[in-house]
Amino acid sequence: MIGRSTKFVGWAKRPKAACPRVSEARSVVRSNAWARALRALSPPYGVAAALALAAAAVALPAHGETVLRVAMTAGDIPDWTGQPDQGFEGYRFVGWSLYDALVNWDLSRSDVEAPLTTGLAVKWGIDPANNKRWIFELRKGVKFHDGCDLDADLVVWNIQRLIDDKTPGFHPVQYARHRSRSINVDHAEKIDAGTVAIYTKTPDSFLPYNVSVWYMISKCAVEKANYDYAAYAKAPAGTGPYKFDRVVVRERLELVKNADYWDPKRVPRHDRLVLIPMPEATTRAAALIAGQVDFVEAPSPDTIPRLKSAGMQVITLPYPHNWHYQLNFVEPPFNDVRVRRAANHALNRAEMVEMLAGVAQEGYAIYPPNARLYGNPVKYEYDPAKATALLREAGCYPCPVTFAISTSGSGQMQPLPMNELVKAQLEAAGFKVKLDVMDWNTLLDVSFKGREKFPQYSGINISRATQDPPNGILRFVMKQQWGPAGGNWGWYFNQEIEDLVAEAMRTFDDELRDILMTKVHEVASREAVMLFVVHDLNPRAISPRVKGFVQAQSWFQDLTPITMAESAK
Amino acid sequence: MTDVTLSSGFAAPAVAAIKVRGYWGTVGYRLRYDYVTLFFLAVVLLIVLAAILAPLIAPFDPNKTSMVYRLKPIGFRDFRLGTDELGRDMLSRLIWGGRMSLLMGLVPVALATAIGGTLGVVAGFVGGWLNMLIMRTVDIFYAFPSVLLAIAVSGVMGGGMVNGLIALTLVFIPPLCRIAETATTQVRNLDFVEAARASGASNGSIIAHHVLGNVLAPVLIYASSLISVSVLLSAGLSFLGLGVEPPTPDWGLMLSTLRQAIYVQPLVCALPGAAIFITSLSLNLVSDGLRHAMDVRI
Amino acid sequence: MWSYAGRRILYAIPIAIGVTVICFGLVFLAPGDPMVSLLPPDASPADVAYLRKLYGFDQPIPIQYAKWLIRAVTGDLGTSLQTGRPVISEVSRALSNTIVISLGAVLLAFSLAFVLGTVAGYYAGRPADRALTAVSVVGVSVPNYWLGMVLIIVFSVELGVLPATGMGSAGSDTFSLFNWEQARYAILPVVTLSMVPLGIIMRNTRSAIAEVLANDFVQTLRAKGLGETMVVRHAVRNAFPQVLAVMGLQFGYLVGGSILIETIFTWPGTGFLLSKAILTRDIPVLQGAILVLAMCFVATNLAVDLLQTAIDPRIRRA
Repeated sequence: MIGRSTKFVGWAKRPKAACPRVSEARSVVRSNAWARALRALSPPYGVAAALALAAAAVALPAHGETVLRVAMTAGDIPDWTGQPDQGFEGYRFVGWSLYDALVNWDLSRSDVEAPLTTGLAVKWGIDPANNKRWIFELRKGVKFHDGCDLDADLVVWNIQRLIDDKTPGFHPVQYARHRSRSINVDHAEKIDAGTVAIYTKTPDSFLPYNVSVWYMISKCAVEKANYDYAAYAKAPAGTGPYKFDRVVVRERLELVKNADYWDPKRVPRHDRLVLIPMPEATTRAAALIAGQVDFVEAPSPDTIPRLKSAGMQVITLPYPHNWHYQLNFVEPPFNDVRVRRAANHALNRAEMVEMLAGVAQEGYAIYPPNARLYGNPVKYEYDPAKATALLREAGCYPCPVTFAISTSGSGQMQPLPMNELVKAQLEAAGFKVKLDVMDWNTLLDVSFKGREKFPQYSGINISRATQDPPNGILRFVMKQQWGPAGGNWGWYFNQEIEDLVAEAMRTFDDELRDILMTKVHEVASREAVMLFVVHDLNPRAISPRVKGFVQAQSWFQDLTPITMAESAK
Repeated sequence: MTDVTLSSGFAAPAVAAIKVRGYWGTVGYRLRYDYVTLFFLAVVLLIVLAAILAPLIAPFDPNKTSMVYRLKPIGFRDFRLGTDELGRDMLSRLIWGGRMSLLMGLVPVALATAIGGTLGVVAGFVGGWLNMLIMRTVDIFYAFPSVLLAIAVSGVMGGGMVNGLIALTLVFIPPLCRIAETATTQVRNLDFVEAARASGASNGSIIAHHVLGNVLAPVLIYASSLISVSVLLSAGLSFLGLGVEPPTPDWGLMLSTLRQAIYVQPLVCALPGAAIFITSLSLNLVSDGLRHAMDVRI
Repeated sequence: MWSYAGRRILYAIPIAIGVTVICFGLVFLAPGDPMVSLLPPDASPADVAYLRKLYGFDQPIPIQYAKWLIRAVTGDLGTSLQTGRPVISEVSRALSNTIVISLGAVLLAFSLAFVLGTVAGYYAGRPADRALTAVSVVGVSVPNYWLGMVLIIVFSVELGVLPATGMGSAGSDTFSLFNWEQARYAILPVVTLSMVPLGIIMRNTRSAIAEVLANDFVQTLRAKGLGETMVVRHAVRNAFPQVLAVMGLQFGYLVGGSILIETIFTWPGTGFLLSKAILTRDIPVLQGAILVLAMCFVATNLAVDLLQTAIDPRIRRA
């Protein structure tokens, strides 16, 4: 009680004058409190805000710059210091943007499967005197983004840094990533300033395919970073059509056009390319509709009508991908070819395509029908009666099988509903299907270790790229590739195929080799080496502002011809 | 003025006999007029009943897929609440999903009550270094936000129903243990416990007769409020893909898979979320009402 | 007061150590091989062993723990297996992003909840109170990941007034609270996150205010002729420390538990980092993030405890 008068002044509020000290103290406290609060807030936040504003001023594209923003299915920004991770999507958006290989892919046409073309090498061929020695003639006058010149020493270093751990700049993780391509490469040698020789361990006519994803990075830049790739990552340099500009870790990678690119036809027609990882399909669709991105990979089939009604272009194209099951050829029941054929007959692929709203193509073989090496394989038509008959003949009715599947993953499309449909269809023919769901990495673990460690699985569901013969067929059917040494998870073995492949590797004439590989494909289908389901049609959703994009029949795509029209948004 | 004569039979004003109810009587009396709690208690019972009787009342097989009837809207032909992305009836899946969700709601809480309650009573009763040990360990787990702990444990163990149950049980043990311990400590020092000990009663009978009575009320009330949290958390785990495997009907998993179809049938996709919401809300309100009625201060 | 503070701080140390043990031990529950995420499916066992040695996963567990702890105390939480960047920089960056929405959510929740809770407490037992209590129960019961989805549909896709995902139009380093164009990215996540704290703070405020108002001295004040506003102010001042404590706890809880909302809104905070680390089995990031979050929670609890004691001396725990 502070000197309050006891005189009754009515029920009204006490005038302030009666308690001057209290109200004064209160106002002082109040102002102090505000002052303190402001001070408490401002140092870290004020500085951060100021920095953010400054960064915004610098980072936002200059007025008038055309920007293409791409939403990828990857969970994070692919590694941009050489051989990318995040699967082939990393190669598609980061690898081919920043770098080139000795052999590139021609991605300019939609009507044919993308072939190999010249890259940093203008000519290559086998040495007639030694069929384990390939000679590459380099392109002249190519400079890296940091000014370094392309010459034989640099190419040799790039080859050696991914196979020889004594090379300065050896990158252990990229070495492991690239292993399946480099496994048959013995070493590289400089012949003269413009020519390089690559030696293989065994005669390998498929070497150009393996070289076609072997990027050349700038040795000068890596040297300047003292062979520390984390430092190199801040200023990477390649020869590609885009240059590195900035990165916000885990959020976006921004590249700008390289006006001095050695192929004037492929100088980008927009100024800036922004790559944003968005692993969730609905998020990608929402971002496209809201105008936050312009180009979206793999929208989920259910969002497609909505995207179309919002004015987006949805484009699809068959490309060398398959969404099949690799089977276990040692443990029953798939060790019996009749059971494998029964499973293939039991699938109603049309229903699967319908569920996917048309963004897939029925798959009856390893390659899609428009592939060069398709040939004339056996076609397993939907015939559940025949499937049941085959099962009874094989003495497996009902036939219990267990598949290992994932919840998501690169190229896995919509694994959960698709697997449930496969399960329902197989069970209708007399199988008893159990699905073992795991996350993508655990499934990769299973696939890497091979059937020996996982005898309980009759099959695994992993999507595969079939772009080039080694990756497309060979690693699934050869004994040399029996897991964990390679991609032949179920330990398939067929002498006919072994002979055909051995001959193909010794055949350096492309046409003759194609004939042999087509035969391999036909034998593989006849033997039902996989449970064939569908081929992804690789849907993309693009904003109407994006013009000039040509979708290639390949896992890789060329974004350089894209022009951005003036926005309506 | 009342005329009071002190001889036999004095005239007193007629007073109605005061009814003596006792504790549970009071609780029942309070509840009788708490219409909100009663209403939501009925809702909870309805949900539980529906879950138990799922095989009898679900109109369709929850796992039967049909490509023809994909993503149909609410009220389409026989599909009262529409169909999901594989053509399965939503109503049936919601009813069956209720089983999974209630299971994931009740089992972790029940287990945690048993384990945590026991630990708490033991710690409170014995005291000394055992109390220190148990309570400090519990404090360490308390140092994690529950969502983080649940997701971390379930995530590193690889997901799945059993791992989710283990993770949630682990999350709920600390608070229950603390409550039990506090309640036990309060009772332990009271005079009548001393008296009981002095008269030779064994520890077991002291616990059974005196301690438990004091401990049960706060622990059970708190546990009942945790059930709704458990339902929400388990649905969240399923939403992240760390819960049951498909095609098991489960509300969180349904919410997650239907997200992809949100542009086609937004209302159908909102149904599992609404189911989670209603269940959680009802459980919360019932537990609150019980707490008021039983006048428990936690 | 200071001895109490000192004791509390000292007490927090064994808790912190216990937390590190759990963080470290958590990842050994994991099935599968962490090396797999780094390698393509057809890498050979020799390559796996080589990488394992490189990252030190081949040593016995107590030694790994000791080494990890010593490095962690000096601020080195290792490097991410996926990106090769130091974990501490990734986590601290993500943490500052999470704090933006957590703080926003708690402040929003607090301002709304305090007002509504006071009204509810004032009219305790009457219809207004029951209506407002219903609001608070709704806030606590709604699955906030579902609410986030609904808000995105309504405001982003249908109405198009707010962005659906991300933090800032050109990445999180362009985000700024002072620029409306950037700040609007935070609106939906903040609103969604604020639901649960709203319910909890409102409940606490209501009970605190009702408790104070039920006291005898309030009747005395009213009898003396103190105006209603003054009475309410009195009650508010008494209830404030308690509610502040709850708000602080909620903030700590949100920082640690924002994973679901951040996944939906692609907000690059610690929750998002954590969910990615779980999926890719990026163990250093997983351990580092959980450790930092748990430590933040411990620190927040400690700070709230001390603050509460400083403001309200009635609260002293033995």
